[in-house]
Amino acid sequence: MRLQHYLGGLENLGPVNFFEKKVFMAEWEKRIFGIHTVMMAESVHLDKSLPKYPLSEVPTTFKDTWTWASLRIGAENMQPFEYFKYRYYEKWLMGISQFFIDRGYVTAKELATLTEHYRAHPDSPLPEQPNPALKEQVVRYLHHGDSGLRAPADLVRFAVGDTVYVTDPEAADHTRLPGFLRNKKGTVTEVYPGAFEYFVSTGPDGLDGLQHVYCVSFLASDIWGPDKSEPNTVIYADLFEAYLKPAHSM
Amino acid sequence: MSSLFKYDKDREAASAAKVRALEALLIKKGVLGSDSVDAVLRHFETVASPFNGARIVARAWVDAEYKARLLEDTPKAIAELQFPGMTGAEGEHMKAVANSATVHNLIICTLCSCYSWPVLGLPPYWYKDPVFRSRGVREPRAVLREFGVTIPEGKEVKVWDSSAQIRWFVIPERPAHSEHLNEEQLAALVTPEAMMGVALVPSPPPCLRHPNVYLIRRICRDADARATRFATA
Repeated sequence: MRLQHYLGGLENLGPVNFFEKKVFMAEWEKRIFGIHTVMMAESVHLDKSLPKYPLSEVPTTFKDTWTWASLRIGAENMQPFEYFKYRYYEKWLMGISQFFIDRGYVTAKELATLTEHYRAHPDSPLPEQPNPALKEQVVRYLHHGDSGLRAPADLVRFAVGDTVYVTDPEAADHTRLPGFLRNKKGTVTEVYPGAFEYFVSTGPDGLDGLQHVYCVSFLASDIWGPDKSEPNTVIYADLFEAYLKPAHSM
Repeated sequence: MSSLFKYDKDREAASAAKVRALEALLIKKGVLGSDSVDAVLRHFETVASPFNGARIVARAWVDAEYKARLLEDTPKAIAELQFPGMTGAEGEHMKAVANSATVHNLIICTLCSCYSWPVLGLPPYWYKDPVFRSRGVREPRAVLREFGVTIPEGKEVKVWDSSAQIRWFVIPERPAHSEHLNEEQLAALVTPEAMMGVALVPSPPPCLRHPNVYLIRRICRDADARATRFATA
Protein backbone atom coordinates (compact mmCIF):
# COMPACT_ATOMS: atom_id res chain seq x y z
CA MET A 1 0.00 0.00 0.00
CA ARG A 2 0.95 3.60 -0.48
CA LEU A 3 0.18 5.49 2.66
CA GLN A 4 -0.98 8.73 1.01
CA HIS A 5 -3.72 6.76 -0.77
CA TYR A 6 -4.94 5.44 2.57
CA LEU A 7 -5.31 8.60 4.63
CA GLY A 8 -9.04 8.00 4.99
CA GLY A 9 -9.45 5.88 8.11
CA LEU A 10 -6.01 6.31 9.74
CA GLU A 11 -6.34 6.26 13.50
CA ASN A 12 -4.38 7.64 16.44
CA LEU A 13 -3.92 11.06 14.89
CA GLY A 14 -5.38 12.95 17.83
CA PRO A 15 -8.13 15.52 17.75
CA VAL A 16 -8.82 17.94 14.94
CA ASN A 17 -8.34 20.17 17.91
CA PHE A 18 -8.03 23.62 16.53
CA PHE A 19 -10.42 24.89 13.97
CA GLU A 20 -7.99 26.74 11.73
CA LYS A 21 -10.10 28.67 9.26
CA LYS A 22 -7.37 30.55 7.47
CA VAL A 23 -6.71 29.51 3.87
CA PHE A 24 -3.05 30.49 3.91
CA MET A 25 -0.95 29.97 7.01
CA ALA A 26 1.71 32.37 5.78
CA GLU A 27 1.77 35.13 3.19
CA TRP A 28 4.28 33.29 0.98
CA GLU A 29 1.79 30.42 0.48
CA LYS A 30 -0.37 32.68 -1.69
CA ARG A 31 2.47 32.99 -4.20
CA ILE A 32 2.99 29.25 -4.73
CA PHE A 33 -0.76 28.72 -4.99
CA GLY A 34 -0.81 31.45 -7.64
CA ILE A 35 2.14 30.02 -9.57
CA HIS A 36 0.48 26.59 -9.68
CA THR A 37 -2.81 28.06 -10.91
CA VAL A 38 -1.10 30.09 -13.65
CA MET A 39 0.68 26.91 -14.76
CA MET A 40 -2.68 25.12 -15.03
CA ALA A 41 -4.03 28.08 -17.04
CA GLU A 42 -1.18 27.93 -19.58
CA SER A 43 -0.74 24.14 -19.68
CA VAL A 44 -0.35 22.84 -23.24
CA HIS A 45 -3.08 20.23 -22.68
CA LEU A 46 -5.70 23.01 -22.67
CA ASP A 47 -5.68 23.08 -26.47
CA LYS A 48 -7.78 19.92 -26.20
CA SER A 49 -10.04 21.09 -23.39
CA LEU A 50 -13.78 21.60 -23.55
CA PRO A 51 -13.63 25.43 -23.44
CA LYS A 52 -11.84 26.60 -26.57
CA TYR A 53 -8.84 28.44 -25.19
CA PRO A 54 -6.75 30.45 -27.69
CA LEU A 55 -3.59 28.96 -26.23
CA SER A 56 -1.45 29.51 -29.31
CA GLU A 57 -2.00 33.26 -28.92
CA VAL A 58 -0.78 33.32 -25.33
CA PRO A 59 2.81 34.50 -25.13
CA THR A 60 4.58 32.16 -22.71
CA THR A 61 7.69 30.04 -22.66
CA PHE A 62 5.83 27.34 -20.69
CA LYS A 63 5.58 24.31 -22.97
CA ASP A 64 4.47 21.52 -20.66
CA THR A 65 1.32 19.92 -19.33
CA TRP A 66 0.56 20.92 -15.75
CA THR A 67 -2.68 19.78 -14.11
CA TRP A 68 -3.96 18.75 -10.71
CA ALA A 69 -2.61 15.31 -11.53
CA SER A 70 0.94 16.71 -11.74
CA LEU A 71 0.68 18.11 -8.25
CA ARG A 72 -1.03 15.02 -6.86
CA ILE A 73 1.54 12.64 -8.36
CA GLY A 74 4.26 14.64 -6.64
CA ALA A 75 2.57 14.50 -3.24
CA GLU A 76 1.57 10.85 -3.56
CA ASN A 77 5.12 9.88 -4.49
CA MET A 78 6.73 11.48 -1.49
CA GLN A 79 8.17 9.10 1.04
CA PRO A 80 5.32 9.01 3.60
CA PHE A 81 7.50 10.04 6.55
CA GLU A 82 8.53 13.06 4.48
CA TYR A 83 4.95 13.73 3.40
CA PHE A 84 3.81 14.22 6.98
CA LYS A 85 6.71 16.50 7.85
CA TYR A 86 5.61 19.29 5.58
CA ARG A 87 2.68 21.63 5.59
CA TYR A 88 0.32 21.62 2.61
CA TYR A 89 1.85 24.44 0.55
CA GLU A 90 5.41 23.47 1.51
CA LYS A 91 4.82 20.29 -0.45
CA TRP A 92 3.58 22.36 -3.40
CA LEU A 93 6.67 24.56 -3.26
CA MET A 94 8.98 21.53 -3.20
CA GLY A 95 7.18 19.74 -6.04
CA ILE A 96 6.80 22.76 -8.31
CA SER A 97 10.39 24.00 -7.87
CA GLN A 98 11.69 20.52 -8.62
CA PHE A 99 9.50 20.32 -11.72
CA PHE A 100 10.99 23.54 -13.13
CA ILE A 101 14.51 22.26 -12.39
CA ASP A 102 13.85 18.80 -13.87
CA ARG A 103 12.34 20.29 -17.03
CA GLY A 104 15.24 22.71 -17.47
CA TYR A 105 13.37 25.99 -17.01
CA VAL A 106 15.65 26.96 -14.12
CA THR A 107 18.79 25.43 -12.65
CA ALA A 108 19.08 24.35 -9.05
CA LYS A 109 22.01 26.72 -8.71
CA GLU A 110 20.22 29.84 -9.93
CA LEU A 111 17.26 29.06 -7.71
CA ALA A 112 19.54 28.58 -4.68
CA THR A 113 21.47 31.76 -5.42
CA LEU A 114 18.39 33.90 -5.87
CA THR A 115 16.79 32.32 -2.78
CA GLU A 116 19.82 33.49 -0.79
CA HIS A 117 19.39 36.95 -2.23
CA TYR A 118 15.74 37.17 -1.19
CA ARG A 119 16.60 35.67 2.19
CA ALA A 120 19.04 38.52 2.77
CA HIS A 121 16.74 41.12 1.19
CA PRO A 122 13.15 39.94 1.67
CA ASP A 123 11.75 43.23 0.40
CA SER A 124 13.73 43.43 -2.79
CA PRO A 125 11.22 43.59 -5.63
CA LEU A 126 10.22 41.04 -8.27
CA PRO A 127 11.12 41.87 -11.87
CA GLU A 128 8.51 44.18 -13.44
CA GLN A 129 7.44 42.39 -16.61
CA PRO A 130 3.65 42.26 -16.99
CA ASN A 131 2.10 39.92 -19.54
CA PRO A 132 -1.44 41.15 -20.26
CA ALA A 133 -2.31 38.35 -22.71
CA LEU A 134 -1.28 35.69 -20.20
CA LYS A 135 -3.23 37.48 -17.50
CA GLU A 136 -6.31 37.34 -19.75
CA GLN A 137 -5.81 33.60 -20.23
CA VAL A 138 -5.51 33.13 -16.46
CA VAL A 139 -8.81 34.95 -15.95
CA ARG A 140 -10.44 32.94 -18.76
CA TYR A 141 -9.24 29.67 -17.26
CA LEU A 142 -10.53 30.59 -13.82
CA HIS A 143 -13.92 31.47 -15.32
CA HIS A 144 -14.28 28.46 -17.61
CA GLY A 145 -12.23 25.69 -16.01
CA ASP A 146 -11.10 22.41 -17.49
CA SER A 147 -13.81 19.78 -17.29
CA GLY A 148 -12.91 16.18 -18.01
CA LEU A 149 -16.34 15.65 -19.58
CA ARG A 150 -16.04 14.27 -23.10
CA ALA A 151 -18.39 12.76 -25.66
CA PRO A 152 -20.85 10.33 -24.12
CA ALA A 153 -19.32 6.88 -24.11
CA ASP A 154 -21.35 3.94 -25.26
CA LEU A 155 -21.83 1.17 -22.77
CA VAL A 156 -22.68 1.97 -19.18
CA ARG A 157 -21.69 -1.06 -17.11
CA PHE A 158 -23.67 -0.29 -13.97
CA ALA A 159 -27.08 1.14 -13.16
CA VAL A 160 -28.50 2.90 -10.14
CA GLY A 161 -29.24 0.32 -7.44
CA ASP A 162 -26.57 -2.15 -8.58
CA THR A 163 -24.44 -3.74 -5.90
CA VAL A 164 -20.79 -3.34 -6.84
CA TYR A 165 -17.43 -4.19 -5.38
CA VAL A 166 -14.42 -1.92 -5.48
CA THR A 167 -11.37 -3.32 -7.23
CA ASP A 168 -7.95 -3.65 -5.65
CA PRO A 169 -5.56 -2.52 -8.39
CA GLU A 170 -1.81 -2.55 -8.13
CA ALA A 171 -0.49 0.41 -6.17
CA ALA A 172 0.59 3.01 -8.73
CA ASP A 173 2.17 6.48 -8.60
CA HIS A 174 -1.24 8.05 -8.59
CA THR A 175 -4.84 7.03 -8.07
CA ARG A 176 -8.30 8.50 -7.61
CA LEU A 177 -9.41 5.49 -5.60
CA PRO A 178 -9.46 6.20 -1.86
CA GLY A 179 -7.57 3.26 -0.32
CA PHE A 180 -10.12 2.60 2.42
CA LEU A 181 -12.70 1.60 -0.21
CA ARG A 182 -10.66 -1.17 -1.83
CA ASN A 183 -12.54 -4.51 -1.90
CA LYS A 184 -15.58 -2.96 -0.22
CA LYS A 185 -19.18 -3.51 -1.23
CA GLY A 186 -21.27 -0.54 -2.28
CA THR A 187 -24.41 0.50 -4.14
CA VAL A 188 -24.53 2.71 -7.21
CA THR A 189 -26.61 5.79 -6.38
CA GLU A 190 -25.97 7.85 -9.49
CA VAL A 191 -24.56 7.36 -12.98
CA TYR A 192 -23.12 10.69 -14.08
CA PRO A 193 -24.14 11.63 -17.62
CA GLY A 194 -21.37 11.47 -20.21
CA ALA A 195 -17.91 10.05 -19.89
CA PHE A 196 -14.87 11.59 -18.29
CA GLU A 197 -11.22 11.58 -19.12
CA TYR A 198 -8.81 11.98 -16.25
CA PHE A 199 -5.79 14.25 -16.79
CA VAL A 200 -3.35 11.35 -17.09
CA SER A 201 -3.28 7.60 -17.45
CA THR A 202 -2.60 6.01 -14.08
CA GLY A 203 -1.27 2.83 -15.71
CA PRO A 204 -1.95 -0.35 -13.73
CA ASP A 205 -4.21 1.64 -11.40
CA GLY A 206 -6.74 1.71 -14.24
CA LEU A 207 -7.51 5.28 -15.33
CA ASP A 208 -6.99 5.54 -19.05
CA GLY A 209 -9.13 7.21 -21.70
CA LEU A 210 -12.85 7.80 -21.40
CA GLN A 211 -14.74 6.31 -18.48
CA HIS A 212 -18.09 6.57 -16.82
CA VAL A 213 -18.12 7.87 -13.29
CA TYR A 214 -20.53 6.64 -10.63
CA CYS A 215 -21.56 7.84 -7.23
CA VAL A 216 -21.39 4.81 -4.94
CA SER A 217 -22.67 4.58 -1.37
CA PHE A 218 -21.04 2.45 1.32
CA LEU A 219 -22.40 1.66 4.76
CA ALA A 220 -19.81 2.70 7.35
CA SER A 221 -20.35 -0.70 8.98
CA ASP A 222 -19.40 -2.43 5.70
CA ILE A 223 -16.16 -0.49 5.59
CA TRP A 224 -14.97 -0.43 9.18
CA GLY A 225 -16.93 -3.34 10.64
CA PRO A 226 -20.20 -3.18 12.60
CA ASP A 227 -18.46 -2.91 15.97
CA LYS A 228 -15.93 -0.34 14.84
CA SER A 229 -18.13 2.15 13.06
CA GLU A 230 -20.47 4.91 14.10
CA PRO A 231 -24.20 4.19 13.73
CA ASN A 232 -26.40 5.34 10.88
CA THR A 233 -23.53 6.56 8.72
CA VAL A 234 -23.12 6.29 4.95
CA ILE A 235 -20.08 7.24 2.89
CA TYR A 236 -20.46 8.32 -0.72
CA ALA A 237 -17.59 8.39 -3.19
CA ASP A 238 -17.40 9.28 -6.87
CA LEU A 239 -15.63 6.40 -8.59
CA PHE A 240 -14.38 5.88 -12.13
CA GLU A 241 -15.68 2.72 -13.77
CA ALA A 242 -12.24 1.05 -13.69
CA TYR A 243 -12.50 0.90 -9.91
CA LEU A 244 -15.75 -1.09 -9.89
CA LYS A 245 -16.69 -4.67 -10.62
CA PRO A 246 -20.10 -6.35 -10.55
CA ALA A 247 -21.21 -8.13 -7.38
CA HIS A 248 -21.57 -11.47 -9.18
CA SER A 249 -17.84 -11.44 -9.98
CA MET A 250 -17.05 -11.96 -6.29
CA MET B 1 -4.59 24.54 14.21
CA SER B 2 -2.47 21.80 15.55
CA SER B 3 0.84 23.24 16.74
CA LEU B 4 2.37 20.50 14.58
CA PHE B 5 1.95 22.83 11.64
CA LYS B 6 2.96 26.11 13.21
CA TYR B 7 6.55 26.67 12.25
CA ASP B 8 9.31 28.91 13.48
CA LYS B 9 10.14 32.15 11.70
CA ASP B 10 13.27 30.71 10.16
CA ARG B 11 11.42 27.94 8.34
CA GLU B 12 8.77 30.37 7.07
CA ALA B 13 11.44 32.87 5.96
CA ALA B 14 13.25 30.15 4.01
CA SER B 15 10.05 29.19 2.17
CA ALA B 16 9.18 32.85 1.55
CA ALA B 17 12.62 33.49 0.00
CA LYS B 18 12.43 30.35 -2.12
CA VAL B 19 8.98 31.09 -3.54
CA ARG B 20 9.99 34.67 -4.29
CA ALA B 21 13.13 33.47 -6.06
CA LEU B 22 11.08 30.97 -8.06
CA GLU B 23 8.53 33.57 -9.09
CA ALA B 24 11.29 36.03 -10.05
CA LEU B 25 13.07 33.42 -12.20
CA LEU B 26 9.84 32.36 -13.91
CA ILE B 27 9.03 36.01 -14.71
CA LYS B 28 12.51 36.55 -16.15
CA LYS B 29 12.20 33.41 -18.27
CA GLY B 30 8.77 34.26 -19.60
CA VAL B 31 6.82 31.48 -17.87
CA LEU B 32 4.88 34.02 -15.80
CA GLY B 33 4.18 37.72 -16.10
CA SER B 34 4.75 39.87 -13.04
CA ASP B 35 0.96 40.37 -12.98
CA SER B 36 0.00 36.68 -13.35
CA VAL B 37 -0.01 35.49 -9.74
CA ASP B 38 -1.80 38.64 -8.61
CA ALA B 39 -4.51 37.95 -11.22
CA VAL B 40 -5.12 34.55 -9.62
CA LEU B 41 -5.30 35.97 -6.12
CA ARG B 42 -7.61 38.78 -7.19
CA HIS B 43 -10.02 36.20 -8.61
CA PHE B 44 -10.40 34.66 -5.16
CA GLU B 45 -10.90 38.05 -3.54
CA THR B 46 -13.52 39.27 -6.01
CA VAL B 47 -15.13 36.43 -7.98
CA ALA B 48 -14.78 32.98 -6.37
CA SER B 49 -15.66 33.48 -2.74
CA PRO B 50 -17.85 31.94 -0.03
CA PHE B 51 -20.18 34.95 -0.47
CA ASN B 52 -21.53 33.18 -3.56
CA GLY B 53 -22.30 30.00 -1.64
CA ALA B 54 -23.89 31.98 1.18
CA ARG B 55 -26.16 33.80 -1.27
CA ILE B 56 -27.13 30.53 -2.96
CA VAL B 57 -27.99 29.00 0.42
CA ALA B 58 -30.01 32.05 1.45
CA ARG B 59 -31.97 31.89 -1.80
CA ALA B 60 -32.68 28.20 -1.18
CA TRP B 61 -33.93 29.06 2.32
CA VAL B 62 -36.39 31.69 1.17
CA ASP B 63 -37.55 29.93 -2.01
CA ALA B 64 -38.44 26.24 -1.68
CA GLU B 65 -38.83 25.84 -5.43
CA TYR B 66 -35.37 27.25 -5.99
CA LYS B 67 -34.01 24.79 -3.42
CA ALA B 68 -35.65 21.90 -5.27
CA ARG B 69 -34.09 23.07 -8.55
CA LEU B 70 -30.71 23.49 -6.85
CA LEU B 71 -30.76 19.91 -5.61
CA GLU B 72 -32.05 18.58 -8.93
CA ASP B 73 -29.57 20.36 -11.21
CA THR B 74 -27.06 22.40 -9.23
CA PRO B 75 -25.16 24.15 -12.07
CA LYS B 76 -28.40 25.15 -13.79
CA ALA B 77 -29.91 26.58 -10.60
CA ILE B 78 -26.70 28.45 -9.81
CA ALA B 79 -26.68 29.86 -13.35
CA GLU B 80 -30.08 31.46 -12.67
CA LEU B 81 -28.41 33.81 -10.21
CA GLN B 82 -25.98 35.05 -12.89
CA PHE B 83 -22.89 35.26 -10.69
CA PRO B 84 -19.74 35.35 -12.83
CA GLY B 85 -17.39 32.37 -13.08
CA MET B 86 -19.73 29.78 -11.59
CA THR B 87 -18.65 27.00 -13.95
CA GLY B 88 -14.99 27.94 -13.69
CA ALA B 89 -12.01 26.07 -12.32
CA GLU B 90 -12.97 23.50 -9.67
CA GLY B 91 -16.63 24.26 -10.23
CA GLU B 92 -17.08 22.52 -13.56
CA HIS B 93 -19.35 19.93 -11.91
CA MET B 94 -20.83 21.02 -8.60
CA LYS B 95 -23.57 19.36 -6.59
CA ALA B 96 -25.48 20.56 -3.56
CA VAL B 97 -26.80 18.28 -0.82
CA ALA B 98 -29.25 19.47 1.82
CA ASN B 99 -29.20 18.98 5.56
CA SER B 100 -32.60 18.23 7.06
CA ALA B 101 -34.26 16.97 10.22
CA THR B 102 -33.17 13.45 9.29
CA VAL B 103 -29.84 13.89 7.43
CA HIS B 104 -26.56 15.67 8.13
CA ASN B 105 -24.02 15.95 5.30
CA LEU B 106 -20.25 16.28 5.60
CA ILE B 107 -17.94 17.01 2.66
CA ILE B 108 -14.40 15.68 2.57
CA CYS B 109 -11.58 14.90 0.16
CA THR B 110 -9.50 12.07 1.59
CA LEU B 111 -7.06 11.97 -1.35
CA CYS B 112 -6.28 15.69 -1.63
CA SER B 113 -8.31 18.86 -1.12
CA CYS B 114 -11.02 19.07 -3.81
CA TYR B 115 -13.30 21.99 -3.00
CA SER B 116 -16.03 23.97 -4.83
CA TRP B 117 -13.96 27.04 -5.69
CA PRO B 118 -16.61 29.20 -7.40
CA VAL B 119 -19.10 29.01 -4.54
CA LEU B 120 -16.75 28.55 -1.59
CA GLY B 121 -13.45 30.14 -2.58
CA LEU B 122 -10.34 28.32 -1.41
CA PRO B 123 -10.36 25.63 1.27
CA PRO B 124 -9.49 26.61 4.83
CA TYR B 125 -6.56 24.91 6.50
CA TRP B 126 -8.61 22.43 8.54
CA TYR B 127 -10.08 20.93 5.33
CA LYS B 128 -6.60 20.12 3.99
CA ASP B 129 -5.22 18.85 7.28
CA PRO B 130 -4.42 15.10 7.14
CA VAL B 131 -6.09 14.67 10.55
CA PHE B 132 -9.47 15.81 9.23
CA ARG B 133 -9.06 13.84 6.01
CA SER B 134 -8.24 10.67 7.95
CA ARG B 135 -10.84 10.86 10.67
CA GLY B 136 -13.72 12.43 8.78
CA VAL B 137 -14.63 9.18 7.03
CA ARG B 138 -14.00 6.87 9.96
CA GLU B 139 -15.62 8.77 12.81
CA PRO B 140 -17.46 11.74 11.36
CA ARG B 141 -19.70 12.09 14.42
CA ALA B 142 -16.70 12.26 16.76
CA VAL B 143 -15.02 14.85 14.55
CA LEU B 144 -18.23 16.88 14.38
CA ARG B 145 -18.50 16.81 18.19
CA GLU B 146 -15.00 18.26 18.39
CA PHE B 147 -16.21 21.03 16.09
CA GLY B 148 -19.09 21.58 18.52
CA VAL B 149 -21.79 19.85 16.46
CA THR B 150 -23.59 16.91 18.07
CA ILE B 151 -25.63 14.78 15.67
CA PRO B 152 -28.21 12.56 17.38
CA GLU B 153 -27.82 8.84 16.63
CA GLY B 154 -31.18 8.74 14.90
CA LYS B 155 -30.04 11.31 12.33
CA GLU B 156 -28.23 9.83 9.36
CA VAL B 157 -24.73 11.13 8.62
CA LYS B 158 -23.74 11.19 4.95
CA VAL B 159 -20.07 11.75 4.16
CA TRP B 160 -19.22 12.76 0.58
CA ASP B 161 -15.66 11.95 -0.52
CA SER B 162 -14.74 14.13 -3.51
CA SER B 163 -12.73 11.58 -5.46
CA ALA B 164 -13.66 12.36 -9.09
CA GLN B 165 -15.17 15.39 -10.84
CA ILE B 166 -18.04 16.38 -8.56
CA ARG B 167 -17.42 19.17 -6.07
CA TRP B 168 -19.98 18.94 -3.27
CA PHE B 169 -21.35 21.58 -0.96
CA VAL B 170 -24.01 21.56 1.75
CA ILE B 171 -27.21 23.55 2.07
CA PRO B 172 -27.35 23.83 5.86
CA GLU B 173 -30.62 23.99 7.76
CA ARG B 174 -32.09 27.42 8.15
CA PRO B 175 -31.72 28.45 11.79
CA ALA B 176 -34.70 29.04 14.05
CA HIS B 177 -35.70 32.63 14.83
CA SER B 178 -34.51 33.85 11.43
CA GLU B 179 -37.97 34.38 9.91
CA HIS B 180 -37.69 38.17 9.92
CA LEU B 181 -34.32 38.29 8.16
CA ASN B 182 -34.19 39.04 4.46
CA GLU B 183 -32.10 37.13 1.96
CA GLU B 184 -29.05 39.32 2.33
CA GLN B 185 -29.19 39.15 6.10
CA LEU B 186 -29.56 35.38 5.98
CA ALA B 187 -26.55 35.07 3.67
CA ALA B 188 -24.48 36.92 6.25
CA LEU B 189 -25.09 34.07 8.71
CA VAL B 190 -23.74 31.31 6.42
CA THR B 191 -20.11 30.26 6.85
CA PRO B 192 -17.89 28.08 4.63
CA GLU B 193 -17.78 25.60 7.52
CA ALA B 194 -21.58 25.31 7.46
CA MET B 195 -21.42 24.70 3.69
CA MET B 196 -18.92 21.87 4.26
CA GLY B 197 -21.03 20.36 7.03
CA VAL B 198 -18.70 20.84 10.01
CA ALA B 199 -20.83 23.63 11.47
CA LEU B 200 -24.49 24.49 11.78
CA VAL B 201 -25.85 27.94 11.11
CA PRO B 202 -26.68 29.28 14.57
CA SER B 203 -29.86 31.18 15.34
CA PRO B 204 -29.35 34.90 15.53
CA PRO B 205 -28.62 35.75 19.20
CA PRO B 206 -31.71 36.89 21.17
CA CYS B 207 -30.78 40.55 20.83
CA LEU B 208 -30.89 40.16 17.04
CA ARG B 209 -34.21 38.40 16.79
CA HIS B 210 -35.97 41.65 15.98
CA PRO B 211 -35.89 43.54 12.73
CA ASN B 212 -33.62 46.19 14.16
CA VAL B 213 -31.52 47.65 11.43
CA TYR B 214 -28.58 48.65 13.65
CA LEU B 215 -28.22 45.18 15.05
CA ILE B 216 -28.53 43.57 11.64
CA ARG B 217 -25.66 45.73 10.50
CA ARG B 218 -23.59 44.15 13.21
CA ILE B 219 -24.27 40.68 11.77
CA CYS B 220 -23.06 41.93 8.42
CA ARG B 221 -19.90 43.35 10.00
CA ASP B 222 -19.19 39.93 11.52
CA ALA B 223 -19.59 38.41 8.08
CA ASP B 224 -17.05 40.89 6.71
CA ALA B 225 -14.68 39.84 9.46
CA ARG B 226 -15.08 36.24 8.38
CA ALA B 227 -14.30 37.21 4.82
CA THR B 228 -10.92 38.52 5.91
CA ARG B 229 -9.79 34.95 6.53
CA PHE B 230 -8.22 35.15 3.09
CA ALA B 231 -5.63 37.43 4.68
CA THR B 232 -2.98 35.76 6.79
CA ALA B 233 -2.23 38.62 9.14
